[in-house]
Amino acid sequence: MSLGRIDPRELIGRYGTALAGLALILFFLIFAPNFASTMNIINVLKDTSFLAILALGFALAFTVSELDLSVAEMASLAAVVCGWLVHAQYPPAVAVSAAIGVGIVLGTLNGYGVTVLRIPSLIMTLGTAAIAKGFAFMITQGVAFVGRWPVGFTGLARGYSFGIPNLVLWMAGATLFAYGLVKWTRTGAHMVATGEADEAARLAGIATARMKRIGLLLSGVFAGLMAMLLAANLSSAAPNMAGDYLLYAIAAVLLGMTMFEPGKPNIPGTVFAALVLKVLGNGLVLMGAPYYIQDIVLGAIIIGSVAFSASAMKKAAFKV
Amino acid sequence: MTSSTPLLSLRGIGKAYGPVVAVRDVDLDIFKGEVVALCGDNGAGKSSLIKVISGAEEATSGTISLRGKPVTFASPHDALANGVATIYQDLALAPRLSIAQNVFMGSELTKPVLLPFLRILDKKKMIAESQRYLSQLSAAVTDMTRPVERLSGGQRQAVAISRALRWNAEIIIMDEPTAALGVKESALVLDLIRKLKADGRTVILISHNMRDVVALADRVVIMGAGRKYVDRPLGNLTADDIAHMIMAGNAKAA
Repeated sequence: MSLGRIDPRELIGRYGTALAGLALILFFLIFAPNFASTMNIINVLKDTSFLAILALGFALAFTVSELDLSVAEMASLAAVVCGWLVHAQYPPAVAVSAAIGVGIVLGTLNGYGVTVLRIPSLIMTLGTAAIAKGFAFMITQGVAFVGRWPVGFTGLARGYSFGIPNLVLWMAGATLFAYGLVKWTRTGAHMVATGEADEAARLAGIATARMKRIGLLLSGVFAGLMAMLLAANLSSAAPNMAGDYLLYAIAAVLLGMTMFEPGKPNIPGTVFAALVLKVLGNGLVLMGAPYYIQDIVLGAIIIGSVAFSASAMKKAAFKV
Repeated sequence: MTSSTPLLSLRGIGKAYGPVVAVRDVDLDIFKGEVVALCGDNGAGKSSLIKVISGAEEATSGTISLRGKPVTFASPHDALANGVATIYQDLALAPRLSIAQNVFMGSELTKPVLLPFLRILDKKKMIAESQRYLSQLSAAVTDMTRPVERLSGGQRQAVAISRALRWNAEIIIMDEPTAALGVKESALVLDLIRKLKADGRTVILISHNMRDVVALADRVVIMGAGRKYVDRPLGNLTADDIAHMIMAGNAKAA
């Protein structure tokens, strides 16, 4: 991996899918009607930010080798709680804190379930997802909170700062936080070691259970943040509003694992993959593809990404 | 501390896994600077005893003292912090992480940034230090960002030993360090152990390879059926003698 001799196979492994993603964006810029309009590009970026923030949380849980299948339902519940408080005229700060709070509570629950009760995360987070969904419907009685919400709240998502949409700034902040945590801090290094080799990390003196709890907690926090922004952007909160995001978040993380650091969940890959997925969805619609094509493409991306990562890992393991 | 005070002292150590008793009432003293070989057949209780000393598992009974003071190792971190590092048979490395990441796993170096309490990883320093540890061990690896999975078995041992050095461990426990290695690489690892000894460190060596034991050990401890039944200086024991003692012990245990 030294800079002196760069293996072309390694280059393709690292940047191949990222370049393909870039090519796809270029393709739609040139061929998809109206794709290149400022309005559309801003919309795609705003749309990307919800997915990217949720997927970043999933990626952080995945960094400690835990699956968090509850991200979308946690987000739905957080959005509903947030919307309920805004609707009841509590100050935006309270509503925002409550959304993040829902993420903290459920993320902590996931963490303790996985590390103390030793329930596999796949099962634990599915359970949490069902519970969150139930509460979301209980609070709303199945209908959505809608109304004329204060600009102090909706502006968090709809406003602009320094000429940049706030949503994009939130995404940038979340990305920087996640990247800095994983790459620059001891906690991040411990999380990576825990995810890479749980027992080796424990024997090296790392508090692996705590790292797993941190990963799952952050996943919840990011879900809460995303939920708050989603509710603010739509001025509504419905009990199923984030449900569709789960598969997209998984796809973003897995597609991201084919880029930059092949086979490993990574922050730049996750965010870029989220952008590619949203561009793909938007571009396909603009080119007149029927809506169901998106689901088919999404499934193919999930399967293809894992196949690609697996083969990249095999190659690396045999190269001496 | 006089030279007669053991560095590490075990008294009445027992370890049971439910109804299965792996270690029974073991007393063992380890003195500074010696290489103690821990021998015995499979199931003799060596690994279980090591897990207790390394903090990977807690003893069911007995006490451990370090430099004359009683200690409790509730986790590997406790043992490491007290200068007891263990290098496991399967090496306990993370294959996809780099050499530097593996050497500093659990004890990463940081440097302040912007504010005094804000510290970030000092990757440059970790790479330089890893390089220093590895060259101390005469391991011929130059690129510290290389993933460990691309190293040979002997080089991986060197990485694992570097981690023990990084913790500045006084006692280094090595579980079958040459078991998975070829002839040339085994020789490299034996040299590494000699270097550790020359450096004044104490080594507890678990090995099935009697030639390694004869080549390195100052003292031989043999276990069977969870008990210690031989504890003597190596003297002029040969590899065959030790093998016979192990078998005799098995016969006694049975």
